[in-house]
Amino acid sequence: MLKILIIDDDEIVLLVERKILQRCGFDQEIFTFKSSEAALKFLKEEGEDQKFLIMLDINMPLMNGWQFLNKMEELGRNDNIFVIMVTSSIDRYDKEIAANYKSVIGFIEKPITTENCLQIKGLTQVAEFFKVL
Amino acid sequence: MKENYPSLHILVIEDHLGDYVLIEDYLKEEHGQIELTRAISFREAREFLRSQKYDAVMLDLSLPDSGDMEVLVKEVVNLAGSSPVIVLTGNSNKDYGVRTLSMGISDYLLKDELNPLQLSKSIFYSIERKKIETQLSESEKKYKNLFDKSPLPKFVLEMHSLDFLNVNRAAIELYGYSLEEFLNMNVRDLWVPEEYEEVENEWRSKYKDWFQVALRHRKKNGDIISVEVTSNPIEFDGKQARVSLIHDVTAQLQAERALQHSEQRFKALVQDGSELVMIMDFKGNLSYASPASQAVLGVEMDELLRNNFFYLIHEEDINKVKDCIAGLKRQKRIQIPSYRVKRGKNEWRWIETIVTNLCSDPAVNGIVANSRDITEFVDQERELMESLKRYDIVAQATSDTITDYDVINDRMEYNEGIQNMFGYNPSEIGRDGCWWDDKVHPDDKERVKRKTREVFHNKTNQLQIEYRFKCADGTYKYVLDRSYLIKDEEGNAVRMIGSMQDITKLQNYIQTIENHNARLKEISWTQSHVVRAPLARIMGLIDLLQNHEDIEDRCHLMDNIYSSARELDAIIRKISSKAEHPAEKINRC
Repeated sequence: MLKILIIDDDEIVLLVERKILQRCGFDQEIFTFKSSEAALKFLKEEGEDQKFLIMLDINMPLMNGWQFLNKMEELGRNDNIFVIMVTSSIDRYDKEIAANYKSVIGFIEKPITTENCLQIKGLTQVAEFFKVL
Repeated sequence: MKENYPSLHILVIEDHLGDYVLIEDYLKEEHGQIELTRAISFREAREFLRSQKYDAVMLDLSLPDSGDMEVLVKEVVNLAGSSPVIVLTGNSNKDYGVRTLSMGISDYLLKDELNPLQLSKSIFYSIERKKIETQLSESEKKYKNLFDKSPLPKFVLEMHSLDFLNVNRAAIELYGYSLEEFLNMNVRDLWVPEEYEEVENEWRSKYKDWFQVALRHRKKNGDIISVEVTSNPIEFDGKQARVSLIHDVTAQLQAERALQHSEQRFKALVQDGSELVMIMDFKGNLSYASPASQAVLGVEMDELLRNNFFYLIHEEDINKVKDCIAGLKRQKRIQIPSYRVKRGKNEWRWIETIVTNLCSDPAVNGIVANSRDITEFVDQERELMESLKRYDIVAQATSDTITDYDVINDRMEYNEGIQNMFGYNPSEIGRDGCWWDDKVHPDDKERVKRKTREVFHNKTNQLQIEYRFKCADGTYKYVLDRSYLIKDEEGNAVRMIGSMQDITKLQNYIQTIENHNARLKEISWTQSHVVRAPLARIMGLIDLLQNHEDIEDRCHLMDNIYSSARELDAIIRKISSKAEHPAEKINRC
């Protein structure tokens, strides 16, 4: 079973994203984290075979999105963790950096929309978890 | 016979008194006027012979102090000189008496067979023979001197073989061979191989005749000389021979050749030279014109001679030329500065003429004018002057600093720009390259030097470079230097002309623009991250409210929209306060 993590320092964003995902039929368990450190801690405690979809903000205090990605990839569970970058940045440069991470499978400019959610469901890496039975 | 010898003085060398008395008797009997002197020893005889000359000497071989008879005879003959010596011997010495004949004595007599007639005859014959002998010897000596001391080299050659039989001193001096060397040589040894056959034929055709031939001889030191040989047959020591007289004509031929060359040279210079040579009088009437007239004036020589030279000169120049020519009455040579002459119908050529007054030289009898066409030089000079003028005008008109660097002498010239642009007083401007180098900003110096070196060694001649240059007040100005390097035919740098443009203002503008760009980037980043964060939130919230009418907590969501909008407003106010107001900028300008 897939678990969904939303990491963003902005509580309103966490609220909006959770609601949108739920509304769009993401019926998996959703966990929200106000900081990258907390999310990383959570991942470490979870089983290695557990699969995750992470909605990751870039611009955060203490540990930004890139720093989180570096730490996370060190865990060696890249086959089970899929990351969608969700950022308010419209800087082309950020998109180029994201391409260097294996675990990053998508890039969304805020705000996340219903349409974005449908696109996520269609991504080959995670499509199997959203099949209508 | 007696009449011919009125008085005879005879020395009788005889120690034996009896023999002397006998001789005296015999002689007095045959000859009245005879004077006898007696010497009783060789020593005494020597005294007499040294002090006096005798008509004849009678010598007895058996003297007490004579010693070796051969020595005695030779000494007496020698002392007697041109006087005949008659030897008297006893029978025992008969054979020896015969042998003495070869020692130069005139006769020998046996004492035992002596009689007045024989004695007298012997004396007279001896005197006579000696006289003829002496004359002959004198004549031969004279002849020998004539040959030996002649200033003209002479050879005596064997007629058939042409081997040398004799050569004179002049020949030895001329050819450098010694007499011994000559006597082992053949005259052919002097011939040069190229002429060998010709000379051999010439000689054979005149085998026994007089002939004269001009040929070359090789001296001992290898020098080749030109000679004229006159040769005629003679008899020499009983052999058929020919005597050849050598006339060394080398110097004469060289002089002739030099004269010939000098004439040819003269012809080449005057007739075939590009310079126009004319001979005229003070009124411009021509008596000679060289063929260059066709090239210089476009007129054939003959036609030119029918004209007056002054008619061809440009009216603005004619008086100047006439003045110069008139000046020749006081001065031998005058150079007429460039003036114009007509060529063909409408063309004017610039020429330059040197006139020389040779009226007093009968071979010339006029003024010699040497002219050359300098039209191209004049044109080039004019172009150069114009180009220099243009350069000066440009240098004065421009606000740039113009530099003119003489590479070879390390001299730098500046226009007024160096004062106006950088503030240097003329007195503090150094004239060498170092002074300029010193003023380049230390951080730019290496780059400027490297670029300059590249231009010096590469094919390109143009250099364009920006750097900072120190002003008199110690500040630096940004300059754009555009230089052009002039190279000689071998590609060596000769001169470098450059213009230094003050681009400090431009640099400042660029700096300002760069600062603005940096600020713009910052604003853009801020927009991207800070402004978009609350905006994105608002958009997300609205999306929820719009698309999901049944959503719970609508009030809470609306509150969030409001707080996000306030946040956004605060951020935009902050940006606005950072940015410059446009009106503010206008005022500042």
